[in-house]
Parts: sequence; structure tokens; C-alpha cells
Amino acid sequence: MSNINEILKISTVFESLDEDSLARLAGLFDSWEIHPGDTLTNAGDTAHTFFLLEKGTLLLAMDEGKSIVMNQPGDFAGLELLSAKGIYKTTLSVLEKGRVMAIPRQEFLDIIQEDSGAAAVIMEAWQEYIDAAAPFAKNSEDAGLPIQF
Amino acid sequence: MYGIEAINANNGWAISVVGISIVFSGLVSLSLVISQLHKVLALYENPSKIKALFQGKKEEKKLEEDTEEVIDIVLTQSQKETFKQFALLVRTMEDHFSLPRLLHLAKISGLKDPYSNLNTLLKIKIIAPDSDGFFTWNKNRFDKAVN
Repeated sequence: MSNINEILKISTVFESLDEDSLARLAGLFDSWEIHPGDTLTNAGDTAHTFFLLEKGTLLLAMDEGKSIVMNQPGDFAGLELLSAKGIYKTTLSVLEKGRVMAIPRQEFLDIIQEDSGAAAVIMEAWQEYIDAAAPFAKNSEDAGLPIQF
Repeated sequence: MYGIEAINANNGWAISVVGISIVFSGLVSLSLVISQLHKVLALYENPSKIKALFQGKKEEKKLEEDTEEVIDIVLTQSQKETFKQFALLVRTMEDHFSLPRLLHLAKISGLKDPYSNLNTLLKIKIIAPDSDGFFTWNKNRFDKAVN
């Protein structure tokens, strides 16, 4: 799999977006190669990037020892899984060599704020994704407000 | 005939004992029912627990079936040794353990390629997630993989 459009189309979070929104979003992603032992985010640091997995395995370490293993192409490490109020709240490490698509957090949140149609689709899919992948990580307080992420 | 004499003549003592036993048994049964009532109310308030109960049984069955699957990744002797060291670390932890904590322990213990080996343990399902963000160690799969 070589391009961001294909990954977006298989991602649970983004697959339902229309072509225009997908194209707009795709232009914001940057491809990063990842290696075992890499740390993509550190809890407590300023949050600047969200990640879409293309290939490999990521370990997302949360509070109280909980964690999520991401290993499916299209898994999205972002929003409440990764940050709160502009600060990373989880540490994202690489377990297996692969590739992620990185998107600047602010630009992603700008899309959510500016494009209400895309925002509704993304947030609905995101809630379903969280319910299925990590219900214990769900943030019920003010979920859906971009400023919270 | 009155009083004690009448009681004796008509099996009064035996009837009293039976009566007391019936009342006492009834009260004990009632107290047992009341003591367990909170569980029934909890199920009534959250029906998903009933579903989870049945799902739990299904998951247990699936876990047993999983252990029967053939582990098709060929492990090197070095990997097997590292997995044994991981197993020792896991033994110091809770049944449902923290994966980042295990990774941390593996790193400070100097285990070889902790990230890659942890990933392999996940891939061959020796380490599997529970539904609360923690992980469990499948001893059957481990034994099968390293022996």
C-alpha cells in the first residue's frame, strides 16, 4: 500500500468521508518510516501530530498501565486517545517496523472545526472506532469538542 | 384437661418445634434472598452484564480453541530464550498485567530486542489483550511455542 488515499479509504475513521474531504485530508498527511523502539509521542509533551497507521505495530501507553496495540492499516492514533487540551496524554511507541502517516494536530482540528459535514462523519466513526477498539479509553466529558483534544 | 397436660396429650411440643423450625427456615431463606438482591438489581439496571456473562463464557471457549491452533511462526533459539525471560517477568506481575510495564521491565532487565520480541509475543497470541486495557499471558501457547 503506497498512498494515503488507499489508507484513508480502509480506515474505519475516515472511510465514510466524501471524495472532496478525503482529498483535502490526504494533502495534509506526511509519510514517516518507523522502527522498533521509536517513540512517536511522549505523555506530557505538547501535542503537535496525530498518526494514521499504514504498516507495523504501535503501542499506545495510557494512564494506570492501560494500553492499546495498533496493528491494522488505517488505525488512527489521535484525538482523545493521544491528547487532551493540546498536551499528549499517552506515549506512542513502535513495536514493529513499518510506516505511519502523520498529520499536524492543529490542521486536523481545523478541518473538524471548518467542515461540519466532514466533522460529523469523522466524529461518528471515531466514536464507533473507540467503542470497538478501546472502550476503556473513551472520554465522555465534552467528547466532540476539538479544543478538548 | 388443661395446660401442660393438654399439650403433652396432643403432641403440642412436637407441633411447636415444627412450627418454630418452619418460621426459622423461612426467615433464613428470606434473609438469603435479600442479601443477594443487590446482584439482581445490578443486572436489572445494567442488562449488558447479562450479555457480558454469556460472552465471557464464549471467550473462554474461544481461548481454549485458540490454544489448539498451530503456531506457524518459526522461532529461533534466541527468541525462545528471550520469551522464557519474558515469562519470568510476567510471573512477577498480576494475571492481567500492564503491557507498557512489561516492556519497561524487559528494557531495564536487558532483554534482547524487547520491542520486536514483545511484538512477536503479541502476534503469536502468547500475550493477548483483555477488554480493560490490560493483557494476559497464555501459558498453553507459550509452552507450545518454546518446547
